[in-house]
Parts: sequence; structure tokens; C-alpha cells
Amino acid sequence: MGNVCREDVTLSKTYYVCKYTPIELLKAFGGECENLNTMPEGFDYADQIAHPNICGFGKSVLEAVLAGGDQVKELVLVNCCDTIRSVYDLLEDSGQMDFLYMVDMLHGGNVCSRERVAAQLKDLAKKYGEYKGRSFDPAAFQKAFEPQERILKPHIAVLGARMGEELFEMTKASMPLPVVNETCVNNRSVAWTCQGVYSGGDGKGVDREEEITSRSETSVRGEADIRGETGTHIEAGAVDFDALMDWYAGELLGQIPCMRMLDNTGRRQLYQDPSLKGIIYHTVKFCDFYSFEYSEIKSHTDVPLLKIESDYTVQSSGQLLTRLEAFAESLSLNPHVAEEIWKAQRSENAPSQSSAADGAACSGENRTGQSGALYAGADGSGQSAAFHAGADGSGQFNTLHAGTHSGKGRHMGKGYFAGIDSGSTSTDVVILNKKKEMVAGIILPTGAGAAIGAERALEQALNEAKLVREDIDAVVTTGYGRTAIQAGDRSITEITCHARGAHFLEPRVRTVVDIGGQDSKVIRLDEDGSVKNFVMNDKCAAGTGRFLEMMARTMEMSLDEIGKAGLSYDEDITISSMCTVFAESEVVSLIAQNKKPDDIVHGLNKAVAAKTAALVKRVGGEEAYMMTGGVAQNRGLVKTLEERLGTRLIISDKAQLCGALGAALFAADMGVYPSE
Amino acid sequence: MVQVVETFGRYVEKWSGTSPARARQLLKTGWEAQNLKFRFTPDKRLFPADQHLARMMMDTMLKPLKDPEHSVLVSVFTPCELIQELGLYPYNVESFSCYLSASKAERAFLQTAEDSGLSETLCSYHKTFIGAAKSGVLPKPRCIVYTTLACDANLLTFKELAELYGVPCFAIDIPAGRTAENVAYVAGQMRDLAVFLEKNTGKKIDENRLRERMKRSERTLATYDAFQKARADKYVPTDLVSPLYSGMTQNILLGTKEEEAYVKRLLSGLKNAEPSKGKRIYWMHMIPFWSDAVKKELLFRESAQIVGCELSQVADPTQHSDDPYEDMALRLVYHSLNGSITRRIDAGIRHAKETKADGVVWFNHWGCKHTLGGSQIAKKRFEAAGLPTLILDGDGCDRSHGGEGQTATRLGAFLEMLNE
Repeated sequence: MGNVCREDVTLSKTYYVCKYTPIELLKAFGGECENLNTMPEGFDYADQIAHPNICGFGKSVLEAVLAGGDQVKELVLVNCCDTIRSVYDLLEDSGQMDFLYMVDMLHGGNVCSRERVAAQLKDLAKKYGEYKGRSFDPAAFQKAFEPQERILKPHIAVLGARMGEELFEMTKASMPLPVVNETCVNNRSVAWTCQGVYSGGDGKGVDREEEITSRSETSVRGEADIRGETGTHIEAGAVDFDALMDWYAGELLGQIPCMRMLDNTGRRQLYQDPSLKGIIYHTVKFCDFYSFEYSEIKSHTDVPLLKIESDYTVQSSGQLLTRLEAFAESLSLNPHVAEEIWKAQRSENAPSQSSAADGAACSGENRTGQSGALYAGADGSGQSAAFHAGADGSGQFNTLHAGTHSGKGRHMGKGYFAGIDSGSTSTDVVILNKKKEMVAGIILPTGAGAAIGAERALEQALNEAKLVREDIDAVVTTGYGRTAIQAGDRSITEITCHARGAHFLEPRVRTVVDIGGQDSKVIRLDEDGSVKNFVMNDKCAAGTGRFLEMMARTMEMSLDEIGKAGLSYDEDITISSMCTVFAESEVVSLIAQNKKPDDIVHGLNKAVAAKTAALVKRVGGEEAYMMTGGVAQNRGLVKTLEERLGTRLIISDKAQLCGALGAALFAADMGVYPSE
Repeated sequence: MVQVVETFGRYVEKWSGTSPARARQLLKTGWEAQNLKFRFTPDKRLFPADQHLARMMMDTMLKPLKDPEHSVLVSVFTPCELIQELGLYPYNVESFSCYLSASKAERAFLQTAEDSGLSETLCSYHKTFIGAAKSGVLPKPRCIVYTTLACDANLLTFKELAELYGVPCFAIDIPAGRTAENVAYVAGQMRDLAVFLEKNTGKKIDENRLRERMKRSERTLATYDAFQKARADKYVPTDLVSPLYSGMTQNILLGTKEEEAYVKRLLSGLKNAEPSKGKRIYWMHMIPFWSDAVKKELLFRESAQIVGCELSQVADPTQHSDDPYEDMALRLVYHSLNGSITRRIDAGIRHAKETKADGVVWFNHWGCKHTLGGSQIAKKRFEAAGLPTLILDGDGCDRSHGGEGQTATRLGAFLEMLNE
């Protein structure tokens, strides 16, 4: 600790990161506490003192301290995990903190663990009291307990590892139901259940007596049951500081456990909540705790589940946004959830809802088992929860709402519809007529900008179909560049569009494997062509089209050549590195060993196939399989992947246009004609 | 030989998906064959003690395959004297996964674990083991005992395995602070462990025999410490696995007569050793024994060799108690990997200096967050103590995290630097 001005100490904030932090105790010494939970732009400072492969949240704490000037000078950590232990070591070594403390929170919840934690609390009280120059204030201690109420109405929960504020806001904005953050520090549940008269000490050894009022009715409910053997019940009467800390240690340990605790069965209440309509399971790169819970949940829940992973920077939000939006779209198409969404939206739009809802219209191609609408409300009214009209009666999509442009009233003209799939490598356009027949299909390189690329591709498609822009009644955009394209009437994620396109091309398809330039994804469809589940690769390029492009460049082959090579091989080479950069070094070294190009390409195909097969397994792939995206043209890879999956892949001659086709089908849904 | 191992591993991998019992049988047969090789054609370049060590380790790994009913799965730093006292065989995740990796069978198991949803960044020793267990290749142990020391993976893996196998599980919670109260807290848990094991086996622990076993552990640790100090001026030819083996046996076999005999043999073998030659490297954390780049520089090289591995010197040999439970608790609470990175670094500096190391390699095993997180502090402090230090990123078990080119450049350049 450096020389700290006493006034600064009194006014400065004490930051914390964990729900086991004794916040109430810090407040009893006059501390103003704040949860440190921001996502930085990058880890420029953290990477200077820490290894890049530690948990992103740990690095965000380091970044906040090191880049934040004098903002974060007091920090109370808990030995949550190996990364946070390292953060403590690094900050202690940096000498930049005025007050730094790590609570050695035990992992068990029995009486002995409680005693050890109580000893820690007393040690913290002594040190923090000395630092702040304040005594323990029992009234402030009691006042600091804030009861937490759990949501009872239909909602979506974010579970798993803590989520940064920025990402949580983005998640909330993407979802059609209220979103509750149940991650980590956000489900802190420490309640005031102590009865008695405080009789002892200021936490620094000076005794004094002060009354602690009896516990409130709301905090009494069932606490003893929840706390189990951890809790100490304090009857009315004299309570000294030691007894109070003993009780408090039990309360801290008795919360809904986090994954670091030896017994974390209490976490099941988080995902066995009947009002839960969707789970967004969040993990942080290089934090391993929550992947175990995810593995458990995914095998034991019927609640729609999306897994996303962030590295705790704001940079990765683009790819996550696509996943969130696709999940929101799939919820809207899920009969069990869509009704709740519809009710929630009707409740929000109550004043004008009835007339608007009555005027709702649904179209869409006739899908197996569906009567025109994507979802008919449970009341059988024929109102579509997924595609019901907005409050203004304009007919815009409300529930399938990802990135919707403002809803213009649709003037229906000649009955042509366009779908634009703006990918990282190519921009594809499909134009359909009223009968959903394809009248144009264009594939062009995306080039420098998504918007310009889309305009150019649309122009070519119009030329091919001998149409003009005014002939197109509705345009739906999809792909990474979808929101940048002004030409669209609305945008839908490529997940939903690929599913729709694949189902249209071949209704028996249940699994779509799409290996694109920037990412690869596997989508599970139900018999109606709605998205049942999907997974995408992480930010790493391994297993994507870009990986193959890079390898083709290394081997001085064109993409066409690499697609044909590897169909037959002599030596079964294994490329062991999964990292693209390391794999490239392996290829260079194989070239140096004079290995045959066909054998090397086969090894590369095996590496991509292994990555893709892992995604298929995670999503629970089922027959029939369709492969879409540009990489579907790579015959060598297709063959290797078929061998790996033990099945045939359906490759449509429109494989690369699948996303654009799905988008065009959604655009066609927007067309409502008097005759219909 | 490489071709044989690759073919063997490929079949273990292949059958693990469809016929796990067959894969397990193949694994057992292959490892038995390897053990026979160790017995009849040992690597003569090693000292006799280390030739024997290879057989000891192989025996330890074969026990759970041959006699799972009497085998106990443990975390690497679990005190095993109580388990041994009841006639059970401890084996740990790290060693077993190393053997699977050495058999080139790890990839399918890693993939199985990842397919179940486990993180790609989880420690590969744990992930390989979980994958092998989920594949049905590893038989069900009698029970599981683990400590919260020294990594997050322990907190996850053993619970998962206990549920998978449906076997009893006992966890020992280790506080960081070196206080008498914390030692008493852990000693209480060790007593509870004795009750757990007694109940599980129906046998009773003889306190006198346990005390005797603990004394043997104390002597073994002291002898190993003496060996490390005495080897400071000697050349002990070594491969990449012997330092790892002793790191494992100094934990799971500590307390056995064979481990004591091994360390005595090690010490006595030094009288035949040549004077020190080449650069002496003290190794922190696991060793990527499979890496050709590391083999090239350090496998039986007179120019440079590993003279000690952190994992075999984690206990503080000065901390002992006559109470056997307190004795085990002291070993855990005063363990060099318990608590802040400073303790681990200080122990590393002390041990590296005792053995007159010229340099230190701090191996950043992918997935080991505490090792990664403390690496920059370690480099700074080791170097301040006069020990040039290389931070080497890699993976001790999973070849796909290798980056052999980088390893070769970094290690090569470091050794050149030491030679300048």
C-alpha cells in the first residue's frame, strides 16, 4: 500500500467481483461497494503482465485496474478460481492497489468450513477497518442486506459464467421475453436472518453494545431449510462480533452455490424453474467451470438452450449477436415459447393490441404439418405468435424480430421477392416469384463493403431475371453484412435462413452443415424446417473455409485444385495442430519432407472434418444431412466428412445459395395479396 | 517402434468408440508388453534406480486396469498413505493421461470429452481422462479421493467421474493460510477420510502401522531432498519421463517401501556418477515428454539435461508431526502449490539453487491457469535470483496444442543463451 490520503480512502469505492464477497461487512466500515464487471475493448495492459490464455474476465479486472487510472484502487477478491488467484498475485506484485485483499473462501459448506470463513471475515474486518479508519457499525451492517426477489413470470435466464454488462444489455435487447442475469455474482442471495442485540466490538477489538432489530418477515421464509448445515440460527439475545461473523459466514456459504463449491446441487433451482422459457448459457474463454454445468444441463433439459462464449471483450459481439438473434428467432418459432412471447407482447401493447392482433395475417409456404402459419396460437385462433402483426397493424414481423428495419407498409406489386446473403467471402442473391420459383441466383465476391457488394449482386440478379428494382415487393437480408444493407426490408440471421432454405430444397433434411468463409455452423431442424438447435465454431478459423483458403495458399494451389486433391491418397497423414497458425507450420514442414500434395490435403480435410463432426455431435445431428455453403463444392472434404459421419451428405446444386433462398422465402412471407 | 505405438494407439482410439472393453483389453496388453520390455530390456542409459522407476510407474498404471475393485482414483497431490494402508492402489489422472498420450490414444478421448460439452481450454490431462472414462475404456474405480489443491480442474473432474461411475467420493478442502487452525481443519478431514475408507472397505486402519508409514514418508522425502542436493555436482543421464515419474511416485507412492527403496537407490547410485557436465535445467510443472523439439535438446544430452522437476519437491520436508493425520495435513497446507504464486516460486528458486541449475524452464501447460497466470512474475523473480528463465508454452498431454516449431526455437535459443 502506498501513502494514501485519508479523505480519499473515505470517499473511494471498494470493488468486488464475487457473490461470496462480504459486501455487508465492508459497508459496515463505511465502504461504498461496486461490482467490477465491464468489458474492455481489448487487453492491451493485461497482456503486458499476464498470459493471454487466462480467463477473459480475470484479464478484464487487470485491465480495469491498469488502464483505469486511479479509478480502481480498492479491490476485495475471493479465491474463486485459478485465474482470480493469479489476478491477486499480479496486482499484489504490481503495487498499484491501495487496498487489496483476497478472501480464502472454503469450498465446503459444513460447520468447520464456516468457522474458517468466519476467521477470514474477522481478519478482513480488522484490515479493512484499519485501512478505512472506521469502526464496525452494526446498524449499517444490517441495513446493507438487500433482499433479492426472484422473477416469477415467463423469462429467459442467462446462466453460467458471469456476463459483462455490455453483452448482457445486447442479450436483453435481442430477446423477445424479459431476461434475467443469473450468472455468478448476479444471483447473490445473502439475507438478514439474525435476531438479537449486538453486544460486542467494532471489529477491531473495542466492545460496544447496540441493538440489532429483529429480522423482517420477508427474510425469514425457509432460510433454515436452504442454508442446511451451513447456517447458524441466532436467537434473540446478546450477539458479539465473533458470533455475528460466524452467522454471517454461514449466510455467505449458504447461497445458491457457484461451480467452485464442492456441493453445487443447489444450482439446479436455476434451471428447473417452471417460468424459465429459454436459457442462454454463457461461458468465458479459458474459464472451465461452467462447461461442466452446460454439459449436464444440455442432457437434462427441455428448455430451449443457447450456449455462447465470450472472451470478455466487446469485440466479439458481432458473432454473438448472430447467435442471440438466431436463438430469439427459434424461440419465436417454438410453439411452447411463442405463446408466452405473444402474451408478453400483447400485454406490452395493450391499448391497441386487440385490433392489431385481429388483423394479423400469416403466410409462408405450406410446410409439412403446418397450416400456413409458422405458429398458430394455443387458443387455435390462427393468430401467429411468430408472425403476428405489430401494434400499429402494419403487418411487420414483431416476434421474429432480429435486427428488423423499421416496418414500412408493404405495397404489393408484381410478386417478386429477393433474399440477399451477405457473407464474409461472397454475397449471394436469390429472386423468387410469387410461386416461389427461383428466377435468379447470383454469387459474387463480397469485396470491400457489404452494402456495395449487396447492391451490385442485387443489380446482377435483377438483370438475370430481367426485372427492375420496383418489381421486387420485399427484400430480406441475411449473413454477416445483413444489418449494413439498406436495401432490405428486414434482416434475419443466416441460421434461420439456411434452415428455411435447406427445408425448402429437401424437406427430409434434419441437419444442415454449413461451412462458410468465416465460420462453420451445424443446424438441427425439426420436421417443419424450424431451427431446433444450432452450434457455431468459436472465433478460431480452424475448421472454416478460411482455414482451407490459407492452406491452399501455403500449398500454392487454387481452391478448385485443393477441392479435387485428397480424393485419393497413399499415406494417411494426420495434422495434429488444431490452431490454424500451427497447422500451417505443420503443412510447411510436411512439404519440406516431400510428402505428396494429395496426402497433405487429405490430412487437412481430416482436420476440418474432425472439427465439423464435433459440432455435429454437439448439436445431436440426425439424418438426413445437407451441406451448404461454398465449401460444399470441395469434393475431397465432402468425401472425408461423409466418412467421418458415416453417412451421405445431400449437396444441392443450389448449396451456396441456400441462405439467400431462405431469406427470399421469408421475404415472400411478407407478401400479402388481396386474393390470398 | 514409433509405427507400432501409432498403430496400437489407433486401434485403442478406434475401438474406444464401438467396443470399449476390447479397447481396454488392448490397452492392458500393450502396457503389459511395455512393462516386460522395461523389465528385460531396460534403457541402459538410465541409472538403475530410474530403470526400476519406469517399472514401478507402469505397475501403478496397470493396477486399475487389472484390479479396478481395489483401485482408488486420486488427484495428484492427495496423501495416499491411508489408501495404501487399507491395501488399495491409488492412481491419478495426470499419470494415466500421460500413458494414454504416450500410447498415442489421447485424441479420441479429448474429442469425446469436448463433444460432451466440456471446454476446449480445460487441462488436457483431465480432459483425456474424462473422455476415456466416458468412452467406457477405463474401468470403475472402487472410490474417488481428491483435494482442492492445486487446480480448478480437480473441483470439476472428480465430481463428474463420481457421478459417471456411481462410486463414493471424498473431497479434502485445503485453505491457503499456513496457520495451526487450518492444519487442524485439514487434519480433521483426514480423520474423516480414514472413516470413509474404512467404511468403504470394511477394514480398520491400524494407527501404529499408519504412524510407521508416515515416518517412512518423512524419510523418503528427506532422502529425495538429499539426492537432489547431492546431484548438484554430478551428471545424471536422464530422459524426459523419469523426472515426471518421480514427480508422480513422490506423491501417490509416498509411504510405500518401494518408493523409499527407489530414493535410497537413487542416492546411492550417485557415487558412480560422473562429474556434472552440460547445462543444468530445473523444470517447473509438467514436461511435454512427447515433444520432438524438447527431446532434441534434452533427451540424454550431455550438453543439457533436466536436473529436477518441481512436482517431486512439493512438500516442505521440515513440517512434520507425530500425529499421522496432522502430518498429512501439514504436507497439504505447507504444500508449495498451495496459496499464492510466491510460495511456488520461492520453492522453485530454492530447489533449483540446491541442485546448481544453470537455468529454469517454466512450462506453461495449456489449460493450467495458475501456472500461466504466474508465469511473468516467476520469470522476474527467478531471474532476480540469478536463474535465467524460459517461459515455454505448450501442452504436456495434447499434441494438438503443440507448436513444435515455436518450442524448438524458444528452447534452442534459451540453451544457446545459457551457453554464451
